[in-house]
Amino acid sequence: MATRNNRTGTAVRPPQDPAGPIAPPPDRTRPEATPRARTRTRQPRLWTWLLLPGTLWMTGFLVVSLLLVATLALGTTDPLGNPRFGLNFANLTALADPAYRTVLLRSLGYALITCLISLAVAYPVAYAIALRGGRFKNLLIAAIVVPFFANYLVRMYGWSVVLSDDGPLLKALRAIGLADEGTKILQTGVGVIAGLVYGFVVFMIIPLYAAMERMDTSLIEAGRDLYGGPLRTFLFVTVPATRQGAAAGCVLVFLPAMGDFVSAQLMGGPDQIMIGNLIQDKFFQGQNWPLGSALTMLLMAVLFLGMLGYLRRTRKDEAEAAR
Amino acid sequence: MSTPQRRRRGAERRPRFALAVTALFFALLYLPVGVVVLFSFNAQKSLTVLDGVSLRWYTALLHDEVLLDSLGMSLRVSLAAMAGSLVLGVALALGLVRSRSRLGSFAGLIMLVPLITPEIVTGVAAMLLFKGLGITLSTTTVMLAEITFSISYVTVILRSRIAALNPEVEEAAMDLGATRGQALRLVTLPALLPSILASAVLIFALVFDDFVLAYFTTGVDPQPLSVRIYSAIRFGVQPTINAVGTLMLAGSIGLIVLALAIPRLFGRKGGLDLLSGK
Repeated sequence: MATRNNRTGTAVRPPQDPAGPIAPPPDRTRPEATPRARTRTRQPRLWTWLLLPGTLWMTGFLVVSLLLVATLALGTTDPLGNPRFGLNFANLTALADPAYRTVLLRSLGYALITCLISLAVAYPVAYAIALRGGRFKNLLIAAIVVPFFANYLVRMYGWSVVLSDDGPLLKALRAIGLADEGTKILQTGVGVIAGLVYGFVVFMIIPLYAAMERMDTSLIEAGRDLYGGPLRTFLFVTVPATRQGAAAGCVLVFLPAMGDFVSAQLMGGPDQIMIGNLIQDKFFQGQNWPLGSALTMLLMAVLFLGMLGYLRRTRKDEAEAAR
Repeated sequence: MSTPQRRRRGAERRPRFALAVTALFFALLYLPVGVVVLFSFNAQKSLTVLDGVSLRWYTALLHDEVLLDSLGMSLRVSLAAMAGSLVLGVALALGLVRSRSRLGSFAGLIMLVPLITPEIVTGVAAMLLFKGLGITLSTTTVMLAEITFSISYVTVILRSRIAALNPEVEEAAMDLGATRGQALRLVTLPALLPSILASAVLIFALVFDDFVLAYFTTGVDPQPLSVRIYSAIRFGVQPTINAVGTLMLAGSIGLIVLALAIPRLFGRKGGLDLLSGK
């Protein structure tokens, strides 16, 4: 008997037959053949048929292609540099090379710092808009989201011009004495992180803003009534109340920041490459696809571990909230 | 505004720090965009000194066959991705909400994959798939990859809309003699039209601007506009790129504003769920 899958809970209505074949396998008898034919016509196979083309497409193009990457990670290259499938662990052991470890650790470090800076930027921005935006709230959020949808490369290119040695930012900093003639942003790690923050900070602001909108603002007033200063109220009231939004934002910033290769290329020097640059290099310049696949799997593994940590954290939060 | 808000305004000082950071954030957010637009009108090749206003980089763009070919290709890819992902995504979203089949849980899971995988991974994967099948990378492979990537967005946007529909309206149509298919075509799809149009516009903008997936799945000639921009900016200053960038910015911003406005045009409150983050 098919199990009843009450997944969404949205469209569950009385005339449903709890014992009926709610999840009909393809070879089940036609619903008309059963006594409760009238109810059955209300739960037709049409919906299941509608699932098929999209599912087949996604399986063919996405699942299969990802499996291909995993398989090729165990492959080799022939003398001409063509990829060969096989069962070879050389690529995986090659990942232990200290050079790769350095790049991986650097990528992790850059992505983490990007998360922290994004948090530091997004908290005040989300706070100001959610609590002080008034009737301009939606307009301000749109003003943040709209340029984010503009071409990533054009934005990065503009940002690299702004950060360049004689660009407006360094000129301004020099004018107020915060930088001297030799200060550089481009071609340094700072430049790479600045690029990543500029590219992905929106992913932090949106979930944080949503969390602040949902937050019970009387908590802040209570904090004030109890003589908490602005900083204490923020740290002990606002941050705990919005930590799920912050966690979601960290995942959304961390994922693309780890995989990015444009920022390190445009803003960094040769000693700031990230794992994305390595993967790109193995596929386009180095022509070592199996090693590129192995590096891709390594990136996925790191991100998967991060996601697991996030999921465990949110489960714990939900369990606490339920208590 | 509501009463608690007014009360708070009296009780609390202005959060000066937050407001200052927000102002600085907006300045830095728009500065790069402004620089690209401003210098696209520069009479000189410099990216630091503004020297007279001219449209020379726009005219140069009009005579750049390679860039125009790329523009045409990006437009074709975006249209194909829009059409393909709408057909597959709308059907998938309807199935995900309405069907109680086990296939639904599997489909629901895999359509989340593109949203939580860095694009470089899906890009590498798509490239390997095409190469593995012996397909030469071309405009078609970019289209196929972009459709795959866009289905998730269509499904995420439409899923919540479909779940919010009242199924009794469809039931009423069927009580009045419509078949399930007719009810879908004459009742459900028209009700979803604003969301479908909004996601169509959004997909067009996303695919047109997409770089990473296009980079991994494109052949030699023609290349999508964003890939062309990438190779151009890696090799020094090219003021034509400012002009292309400005036009792309204007186009994307126009499309996004349109996508946000469509639900309102149909008399519904609120914009796209995906954008508002709710």
